[in-house]
Amino acid sequence: MKNIRPFHVLVGVLLVVVLLLTGCKTRHRFVKKTAFKDTDKIEIVFAGPVDETWAKDVGGYSVYEKPDPDILLKISNVALSPDKTTVTLTFEEPLNRDQPHILTTTEIMSEGKSLGAAVLTVKKLYFGYVLSILIGAMLINNFVFTKYLGLCVFFGTSQKKTTAVGMGVTFTLVIVFACMLSWFLYQYVLKPFNLFFLEIIVFIGLVSLSVQAVDTILRKINPALFKAFGVYLVLVIANCVILAVPLILADNEYNALESFMLALGAGLGFLIALFLMSCVREKLELANVPPTFKGMPIAFVVAGLFALAFLGFSGMSIY
Amino acid sequence: MLMDPALVKLALGGLVVLGVIGLFFGIGLAMAANKFAVQINPKVEEVLETLAGAQ
Repeated sequence: MKNIRPFHVLVGVLLVVVLLLTGCKTRHRFVKKTAFKDTDKIEIVFAGPVDETWAKDVGGYSVYEKPDPDILLKISNVALSPDKTTVTLTFEEPLNRDQPHILTTTEIMSEGKSLGAAVLTVKKLYFGYVLSILIGAMLINNFVFTKYLGLCVFFGTSQKKTTAVGMGVTFTLVIVFACMLSWFLYQYVLKPFNLFFLEIIVFIGLVSLSVQAVDTILRKINPALFKAFGVYLVLVIANCVILAVPLILADNEYNALESFMLALGAGLGFLIALFLMSCVREKLELANVPPTFKGMPIAFVVAGLFALAFLGFSGMSIY
Repeated sequence: MLMDPALVKLALGGLVVLGVIGLFFGIGLAMAANKFAVQINPKVEEVLETLAGAQ
């Protein structure tokens, strides 16, 4: 740890900042804020007063949900606040707040001058959105119980609480590392070169690379932790959640922070699943299970019950 | 039969890019293994070999 100089840290921080900034959306310089209000309203706050004749014209705005650019939403009313800086659009139908909306205006008129047309993105509070990705991957769309991925490792290491927690923590560590790497490679190498068809093979390579790297570095830096992780580190390669997450975030075009949250959520969700399962299986050792169901069969039954219980989360949304 | 030149170009580009990525990370791993090398006492292995090893 001695030879990490402040210069290296600075370069690292700068790199992260640049990556995060490239993920941000640009917006019109005259628009201060756009936000959803109530169930069927969108509010636009301008930096200065706008002309009433322009602002009150319903035809001046067109709004659609980002995935469906050809379905324009019908605006029933436009209201302008007394200080002429806030425009509230009311829609005929309630808006789906989970989708970002694209709002285009004709040339904004302010005090008789034109300030150019604007293309704006309206979405939920960004922090809430990122948090909902985390919670979503952890509980609502838990990879083990609702997507049935990573089951072999799940059944293999959930016999005892200590092994379950060890596996879960190792897995979380490696999945975050592997996903950030694969996000970077997808955005900056595969996409520019139009090599989308290679994503699976690249992601498989990256997973084994990160497992090998964590193995090598941990062996030297923290032998105690390495011993605790032991065989689980190698088992991570055999887990398909670690391949599913990079594919999902490539499909959804997530940015760096969103990818991090998805990976963290998937890892923690796996940890939760392993822990719950190991608690039950430790108790099952003492229970009077019919001989035909002893061992694996009863474990499958328990996993099915857990999956049913997790079904209760489905369809929930946060924020 | 000749293939579409655009596809040939894409395939060759893919090969080159994948090769470069592989080479880059391979060298990275080799350097990491070198830097974080752990000395394992060869005597440990020898002693284990000579023991009966039934348990």
